Amino acid sequence: MAGITFKNVVKTYDNGVTVVPDLNMEIKDKEFVVLVGPSGCGKSTTLRMIAGLESITSGDLFIGDQRMNAVPPKDRNIAMVFQSYALYPHMTVYKNMAFALELAKTPKEEIDKKVHAAAEILGLEPYLDRKPKALSGGQRQRVALGRAMVRNPEVFLLDEPLSNLDAKLRTEMRSQISKLHKQLGTTFVYVTHDQTEAMTMGDRICVMKDGIIQQFDTPQNLYDYPCNLFVAGFIGSPQMNFIDATVEKTGNGFALCFGEAKLNVNNEALAPYVGKTVVCGVRPEDFHAEPQFFGEGNAIDAYIDLDEMMGSESYLYLDYAGQKLVTRVPARYAKKADENIKLAVDVDKIHVFDKNTELVICQ
Amino acid sequence: MDKKPSHVRTVVAYIVLIFLTFLCLFFFYILVVNATRNHTQIQKGFSFIPGKSFIPNLKHVLNDANIPVLSGIKNSLIVSSLSAVLATYFSALTAYGLYAYNFKLKKPAFIFIMLILVMPTQVSAMGFINLITKMGMLNTLFPLFLPSIAAPAVFYFMYSYMQSSLPLELVEAARIDGCGEFKTFNRIVIPIMKPALAVQAIFAFVQSWNNYFIPALVISDNTKKTLPILIAALRSADFLKFDMGKVYMLITIAIVPIIIVYIALSKYIVAGVALGGVKE
Repeated sequence: MAGITFKNVVKTYDNGVTVVPDLNMEIKDKEFVVLVGPSGCGKSTTLRMIAGLESITSGDLFIGDQRMNAVPPKDRNIAMVFQSYALYPHMTVYKNMAFALELAKTPKEEIDKKVHAAAEILGLEPYLDRKPKALSGGQRQRVALGRAMVRNPEVFLLDEPLSNLDAKLRTEMRSQISKLHKQLGTTFVYVTHDQTEAMTMGDRICVMKDGIIQQFDTPQNLYDYPCNLFVAGFIGSPQMNFIDATVEKTGNGFALCFGEAKLNVNNEALAPYVGKTVVCGVRPEDFHAEPQFFGEGNAIDAYIDLDEMMGSESYLYLDYAGQKLVTRVPARYAKKADENIKLAVDVDKIHVFDKNTELVICQ
Repeated sequence: MDKKPSHVRTVVAYIVLIFLTFLCLFFFYILVVNATRNHTQIQKGFSFIPGKSFIPNLKHVLNDANIPVLSGIKNSLIVSSLSAVLATYFSALTAYGLYAYNFKLKKPAFIFIMLILVMPTQVSAMGFINLITKMGMLNTLFPLFLPSIAAPAVFYFMYSYMQSSLPLELVEAARIDGCGEFKTFNRIVIPIMKPALAVQAIFAFVQSWNNYFIPALVISDNTKKTLPILIAALRSADFLKFDMGKVYMLITIAIVPIIIVYIALSKYIVAGVALGGVKE
């Protein structure tokens, strides 16, 4: 078992494109870390560097205490699940799972035991003699997982393993992978662009953009305390509302003004911004239609462009003071499209960002 | 109404196909029929009905001291089998090297191999004979199969096949599973390449089996001659000894191994060996 450490790691491709400019990250032993970000943000490259499939241009990569830069993939004691599954098409499920063990010269009985144990956990027992082409997508995915499981690797790498599955299967596999992590007690590094997967599975999430780590924290902290506009917008669905607001000095503090709303925020961090425009971030669920939330200056009266009834709650797409907003209100308080609705903003939960640096000012 | 045109098309298609099949198989029929007739019968003209001289013809061929047929078959089998194996394995290996790895001279290497492809054998024959004479391999079987290691056409076929059927993730997965580079090639790449290997093995085998030009230059020892040289020798025998029945019989004997090889290898030529490995 081992943690993974990146020290000033740089990855530049042969054509001169730098995907990862300077990566410093410490993944603890037995931790489930999710690398998340939009496509092309360098998360897959980072994972492939851990696997040894991409060379490291400069910097150091450690797995445990060992520097891994020049160690070939086969000697790193890692297992990887590929987005495309990458099963050996000419081998049966059993052979696919046993291949790595055979190469490691494991005794036959032990291979048999391990493969059957993994197959049982993954529900693959009836398919051991089949070839991959005779399996469904979900089954293939499980074989890919099983192939990684049987090896007891130090590090388990998963590269968007669920992106080819349908929604129902994805939810099911999500919990299966989480369970697997608890069972194996191994370090997991999981790459995805799906923030739901990231939020539900990771002990910690590393949000990346353009090869740079934006924030590396627990899912709850990422959601409650995003460090910049990108993270705030990336985590959470529907996405956080960003409203341009002017900071005004009031008698006992500051107020964020937009439309008719005047949100009182008593935070000294706002002092340098008086008279300037900042970005005010409000999560869709922090707009309330319930009467007890209404207070002084925190109400908006907005026109509903579109409503999406989700059952217990309703998503309302609003047009307010020239800005588009999304809110999530309990179904019984919701109204229909083309009507107006009065909503209160939960002032305690708003985030304020600098418009230029995009960094958080207070939250 | 809809059915009629397609019916006519089917009939026409079948007629064309039957005609083509006839063209292909008719010569085999003549060959087999003539192998059963004696020299005078053959000289009289063509006949559809087989004669009764099959056994005498066979005996004449096998007992001719100047034409060592059995050793000819043996030599041809050795040379052709080794050629097929060497050409397919090493071409696949070269193609894999250029397909799966990135290195500085990748493009020049590819272009170099393609340039060799356009060079006819005859052009380099003199140099080749010079070389093997200096290496002491004249009048041995080695020069007949060793050059198959470098087969640019087979290489190109393998390279194209890999581009369409060998996802690099499989190679990466094997590396992570702890597989060395050569083992990856032998245990993962070769099985996936089976259909391509089978096709090229057949071609290489047939080409080498029918090769007359190089063996005629290299081999002078009677016991080392391959079948095409023996057939040529039989055909150019002097007037008194010339026996068409014998010639046809020897040619018939010569095509049997090719048919066997074709039937044995064709079962590997199936689509979809690589299916299901990766999600497309």
